[in-house]
Amino acid sequence: MKKSVLALFLIGILAFSVVASGCIGKEETAKTSAGKIAIVYDVGGRGDLSFNDMAYLGASRAAKDFNLKLVELQSNTEDDYVRNLETLAQQGDYLVIVAVGFMMTDAVKKVAAEYPNQHFAIIDGFDPEMPDNVMMILFKENEGSALVGALAALITANSGKDKVGIVLGMEIPPLYKFEGGYRFGVAWARDYYKQKTGKDVDIDVLYQYTGTFNDPAKGYQAAKAQLGQGAWVIYQVAGGTGVGVFQAVEEYLKAHNQKMGPPYAIGVDSAQEWIKPGAIIASMMKRVDVGVYSAVKAAVEGTFKGDMVELGLKENGVGMSSVDDVMAIFDSLPEDTQKQKLKELGFNSKEELKKYLEDTRKQVPDWIWQAVDELKQKIINGEIVVPKALNKEQIEAIRKAKTWQEMEELAKKWAS
Amino acid sequence: MKSSISDLIAAFNFKALLESLIAIVIGFLIGALVLLAFGYDPAVAYSALFGGALGSTNSIASTLAYSTPIMLTALTFAISARTGIFNIGAEGSFYFGAIAAVIFTNIWANMWFGLAMGILLGALWSLPAAFLKVYRGVHEVISTIMLNWIAWFFVFWLVVGPYANPNDPNKTIRIPESARLPLIGNTNLSIAFIIAIIMAVLSYYLLWHTVFGFGMRASGLNPRAARYGGVDPNKAIIWSFIIGGVMSGLGGAMKIMGEPPTYAISQGMANVYGFGFDGIGVALVGRNHPLGIIFAAIFFGMLRAGTALMQIEAQVPLEIIKVIQGIIVITIAVPGLYDLVKNVFKKG
Repeated sequence: MKKSVLALFLIGILAFSVVASGCIGKEETAKTSAGKIAIVYDVGGRGDLSFNDMAYLGASRAAKDFNLKLVELQSNTEDDYVRNLETLAQQGDYLVIVAVGFMMTDAVKKVAAEYPNQHFAIIDGFDPEMPDNVMMILFKENEGSALVGALAALITANSGKDKVGIVLGMEIPPLYKFEGGYRFGVAWARDYYKQKTGKDVDIDVLYQYTGTFNDPAKGYQAAKAQLGQGAWVIYQVAGGTGVGVFQAVEEYLKAHNQKMGPPYAIGVDSAQEWIKPGAIIASMMKRVDVGVYSAVKAAVEGTFKGDMVELGLKENGVGMSSVDDVMAIFDSLPEDTQKQKLKELGFNSKEELKKYLEDTRKQVPDWIWQAVDELKQKIINGEIVVPKALNKEQIEAIRKAKTWQEMEELAKKWAS
Repeated sequence: MKSSISDLIAAFNFKALLESLIAIVIGFLIGALVLLAFGYDPAVAYSALFGGALGSTNSIASTLAYSTPIMLTALTFAISARTGIFNIGAEGSFYFGAIAAVIFTNIWANMWFGLAMGILLGALWSLPAAFLKVYRGVHEVISTIMLNWIAWFFVFWLVVGPYANPNDPNKTIRIPESARLPLIGNTNLSIAFIIAIIMAVLSYYLLWHTVFGFGMRASGLNPRAARYGGVDPNKAIIWSFIIGGVMSGLGGAMKIMGEPPTYAISQGMANVYGFGFDGIGVALVGRNHPLGIIFAAIFFGMLRAGTALMQIEAQVPLEIIKVIQGIIVITIAVPGLYDLVKNVFKKG
């Protein structure tokens, strides 16, 4: 008796699944496309509000603009990188396979060597012996960090303070680019402020490497200590650890009955202002979307070159966020998350959030924003060269340098 | 020779095999329902899963490569379970095996030396729990969980500290080329897989064809009766821990020495974490039988290797694939779990 019931049940399920599977998934095959592209995310995956989500934005925009079919692939663990890339390469019908994140560097190098006719692009990864069917897309984080450094220093000097902070993740060479750029921006702002107001404020940069990218508590402690020492604007370059920096600044504001800064935090990688509106003044954006887009564009237009491509301010590969950038990121969140976040922040609509972000920016006088823009133009023109510290020795040299001109000298020396 | 083959067949529990096969079918059917509920075509999804796992030489190589570490950690669990011990310390020994490979192959770039040191450290790390159990009566679940954490933090410190790669701080220094396990043919599969199979067969031989193994199993079934029959259950327990540590230590060492392209432990230990726990699932699916574990591990490897094509061709997101695979694995583990619980109550 029991067995026959079970058997009937199983047959029922089977019949149902066969019928139902016939009903779905038939519609969308007809659409024609000019080709296919694939994107492989690292273990952070979609929904990280940062790297992978930005990469998706770029890939989907490129897919739309060039009429391509986009295939996405997530990685469960690091062990999946080779398997995922290999599975795609084996199919052999992608214009380009984009790997997101430096963690995939080894895997791309290996699979690209096995499939020399397949184009690959890796975002933020570099290897001197990379096969020449791989485009390595890197970002000039030093340039973007210089902009937020100038912003931080000018806000600080304008409030009659003399310290800014930077909280970083693990002490690894890629982060020296951020720290060096930030210091350069601060030094440049000192000069600018002196010329504008006649006052020379020697702005100190408090810096701390927390040793981790995913411990908000450590970021909180570091930021709290810096605020205690008088830091007026704090730049976070610490991934998940940086959320603690935002918390510390928000708490400081609450304790002083302020809704908006200063003091402020500065976000990194994507436009993070929506996380704590009022406490975050701007973000240094690493336009992963632009990187992915340009790789696809090169592959479509036949200009693809296996080489290192560095995207800076000029190429819009890095930059300081605008309110529109923040809203674009916010719009890309799932609907439910958006609603929940708005409720949490006490806004009734997205427009209210946008207005609030604009009001936050108005706390900072116009001339400061213009000054930052001036620096941006000068870097784009090549009038000013921002140093790029690649190792301990170079960052030490920047830390010792007194003026931005000294730092620029270093930049020119290292470039040659 | 003839007798050993018929022994092998006799050792195979056909009732258990049948139960497992039915469980697999049920698991896939429930998974199909979930796929339907989310609007995906189960037929397309499953054919992509199997195509991705077995469709080409590379696919099969990936399947077998994924199955290798969990086969060894499953043996750790199974050998202990047969001795009446619930050993979940495979994870800790695995970390030590991995770091031993990194440390010692960089002292002497010899493959066998690296494997031997992985085995040694893995086995040594199993001893504290064994002695605590035998001489102090500390329950092995408690001690092995705690020892796993100690191993985690200690090895983590080695990874980010003394053995971090100065040129690439996201991982440890690499295994020197001359100490890496040779790859089979033109694939990503190393001889680690063959070594794992040999270990499984040796475990089977040990447990069912030696007096020593008989003693282990006897004390697992009933320690008092075993003592009456002249077997020292304490000795059996200590040896089961040690052999378990050998398996996991070897697994950890081979994970790092036999898996292109990285040949290093990565930051956050992301490429050595979780294999001990997955091994418990594999052991349950394989009914704690070394030969069953070979098939169970390959089955788990198939699920992992087929994930990529399932995402590409059926467009099923990874999260849902994980749900489906979780359902399948739990369903398949039910008979093994039932055995385990039954034994606990019987002893009770």
